[in-house]
Amino acid sequence: MSVSFTINGTRRSFDGDEEMPLLWHLREEAGLKGTKFGCGIGQCGACTVHLDGEAVRSCSVPMASLDGANITTIEGLAEDDALHPVQEAWIEEDVPQCGYCQAGQIMATVAFLKDTPNPTDEDINTGITNLCRCGTYYRIRKAIKRAAVAMQSA
Amino acid sequence: MPALSRRAFLQSSAATATLAVAISATPFVIAQDSQSSGGHVTPCLRIDADGNITLCVPIPDMGQGMETTAAQMIADELNVNLDDVSVELMPFLGTVNDGGRAVFGRFYQGGGGSGSTMRIWHEIRGTAAYARALLLEAASRRWQTVRSGLVAREGAVFNPASGQSLPYGDLVPHTAGISDISEAGMKPKTANERTIVGADARNVHSRAIVTGKPLFGIDAEIPDMLHAAIRRCPHLNGRVISFDDTAARQIQGVIDIIPVDRIPEDTAQWRSVAAGLAVVAESYWAARKGAEALEVTWDETVSTGDDTGLLREKCLAALDGDGMTTSIEAGDLDAAFSEASHSIEATYFHPHWAHTCIEPHSCIAHVKDDEAEIWVGHQFMNSAINGVKDATGIAPEKVKANFYRMGTGFGRKAENDFIIEAAILSKATGRAVKVTWTREDEMEQDYVNQLAAYKLRAAVGQNGAISAWHLKAAADTTPAVVTREFPARLIDTYKTEYERVPNGVTRGAWRGPHHNVIAWVIQSFLDEVAVETGQDRLEALLSLYDRKTALKSLNWPNRDITFDRFRGVLRKAAEEAGFGKSMPDGWGQGIAVHHTFVSVCAHVVDVQMTGDRDYRVHKVTSAIDCGLVVNPLGVRAQVESGIMDGLCAAKYGKWILDKGLVTTNNFDTYQKMRINEAPSEINVHLLDFGDEEPRGTGEVSLPPVIPALTNAIFAASGKRIRELPISENL
Repeated sequence: MSVSFTINGTRRSFDGDEEMPLLWHLREEAGLKGTKFGCGIGQCGACTVHLDGEAVRSCSVPMASLDGANITTIEGLAEDDALHPVQEAWIEEDVPQCGYCQAGQIMATVAFLKDTPNPTDEDINTGITNLCRCGTYYRIRKAIKRAAVAMQSA
Repeated sequence: MPALSRRAFLQSSAATATLAVAISATPFVIAQDSQSSGGHVTPCLRIDADGNITLCVPIPDMGQGMETTAAQMIADELNVNLDDVSVELMPFLGTVNDGGRAVFGRFYQGGGGSGSTMRIWHEIRGTAAYARALLLEAASRRWQTVRSGLVAREGAVFNPASGQSLPYGDLVPHTAGISDISEAGMKPKTANERTIVGADARNVHSRAIVTGKPLFGIDAEIPDMLHAAIRRCPHLNGRVISFDDTAARQIQGVIDIIPVDRIPEDTAQWRSVAAGLAVVAESYWAARKGAEALEVTWDETVSTGDDTGLLREKCLAALDGDGMTTSIEAGDLDAAFSEASHSIEATYFHPHWAHTCIEPHSCIAHVKDDEAEIWVGHQFMNSAINGVKDATGIAPEKVKANFYRMGTGFGRKAENDFIIEAAILSKATGRAVKVTWTREDEMEQDYVNQLAAYKLRAAVGQNGAISAWHLKAAADTTPAVVTREFPARLIDTYKTEYERVPNGVTRGAWRGPHHNVIAWVIQSFLDEVAVETGQDRLEALLSLYDRKTALKSLNWPNRDITFDRFRGVLRKAAEEAGFGKSMPDGWGQGIAVHHTFVSVCAHVVDVQMTGDRDYRVHKVTSAIDCGLVVNPLGVRAQVESGIMDGLCAAKYGKWILDKGLVTTNNFDTYQKMRINEAPSEINVHLLDFGDEEPRGTGEVSLPPVIPALTNAIFAASGKRIRELPISENL
């Protein structure tokens, strides 16, 4: 069986093991290392990408389910050199420590702010569930709010 | 006998060309490959043919911010803006010692003990100052003018007298051959002259991180490499009895199944590498599927006695047994207790914690006949190279190592097992092999924080002051650190004892080793004593740390500890938090202080009980003395990080061995905090005690936050937490 989909706007097809999670297609076959492997069971969110605009954990999305899908990864978030406001906010608030989970945090936040453009603390508490092992949550919260303001005034 | 000793050697990183190394007559090791098309001017500065400046830093980054901190030190000496330059990791610049082991050279090239900043403070600034002197000297020769009249700034040398200027890049070829610069001419800047050291600097790799660049060890790949997934024995110290690989070999892409023996073979000895079966394949996914398809019969019998519940009982029993060894003692303990108006006693216990490094371990190794190359994220460059030697016998001079950023380390990425596995499999296949661990591997094969029980007794006199201190500790490691820690010796009459309970658990460094748990035990018990004797909790601590001016710490690194710093951070945290203010029912504040290695930190935690068995941390107010601060923004990040790590480990940390089998092997069974449990307010205050050198930060804020939390829970609820994790004991 062959499945066709787009990654960051580029059409691709796949006819390998349909049980393989999207994560490994991105990292090993599409050359997109920004999406990270953290737990393999959808718990940590380091592998978060957008599937038709929704945040999903790519370690738990089998290739078989992707026919016709549009996938966006962290590499496809910035338009040319212009960073997404969420990426800008992450830099402004100096969020990244080790940085490993931050691509997933950013992808989760971009999708979250689409549905919740003006989030309260409680919205953030329930809407953002990614794990950061460095414990940058205090700055992530500030960066989410900064990005929300930037996107609303844009 | 001719020795291999002191041979300088250098391994180039993937990103840089091979450097020629010369040991100069100057105090600094100088690597220069200056050519007409750009190159290095000392190991800390590289300029390409287009004049682009790259600062080269000696210590790998695992989130502690060392690449940024080191880049600040270099940038300051070179008068370049961090925004205008790139930053990359230096290759290993060490030597080989008489025992044939790779050792550090001029630069310390490892991350551990919160010591990186202080260990490179003189060397990296000295080297960068030497680079600046070389550039100035090159310009003075070009212009035939005296060097002292020239100025280096913004990446160029200026001649104020003539108005001429030359960018650093143009001067690189002219620095070659300059060897007669006096030491006086290359002195690092004084405090007054520094502009970048001491100022906030954002993570120099932020843009690369937020755009998903392949910075990490797990992102590395090389042409024609094979992938390996290892099905490791999930039973502690177990081995393979038999296996059937028929199904595994049928999976498309699987090339071979290679048994990996436990190292060392003797299971009574500390595990270096777990027993398992490696599936080598064309892709990682094929290797993983192959590993899962293996049918294996494991020997489960070796460590059935290593069981969390059983170890707990053994440690608690040891506290009252006769197997204790006296660590330190002074004064007449029995007399002090019999004369005391109060005697207070409590027993504490904590289980193992797993590291849960967010980036699962990985390593690529390519082993050839008498040389090898590795691509890895590792905390210690020397140790990583020695791992290849241990696995293959190849001399360190013949090991080329490419180092990457780490997705956290916390001490676990100081171990070599993943490097040894890759080297063994590359040697066996004759190909480059990348070993990638799963989360389950990372947690099952962890080198965990120790499990321990403690009994503390304090004798208290009429005035409420502690007159004698008695501490016993029993653990699955030798718990000597807690026995040497204050307040023993601040209190003149004391006795401390320890016992190691025999076991086969692999333990290792976990952010703030020992300190991460002993601060809780000591500071919580001191809080108990203050409360029971009706004293103000802050005043009791201030008065305890006012008993002596200074003592040499008996714990590593054995520095002189001056207690004005303890009182200073306590007062500052208390004042900023309004410690002691009245709070609504169900709210409480806790305070605690601890020195980890050479820095000292105090926190006040504000909690609100949210029902009988849960709570919310609203605010943490911190004061830290970490000596001279290179990057205030980075220090704050580390303090915030340690706070989260401590709050999380205290509430949920429990790595469980069920008769030798690890049952907490992913984030569904080993809970970690998310943003919903993170304090919404963290206020960090950096104290200045006039130090001219940095002291260290990465591990310092974690230890005292746990007692500050449990003391706050007591204030809010009346429940004293004497066993961790809090989630199971509230």
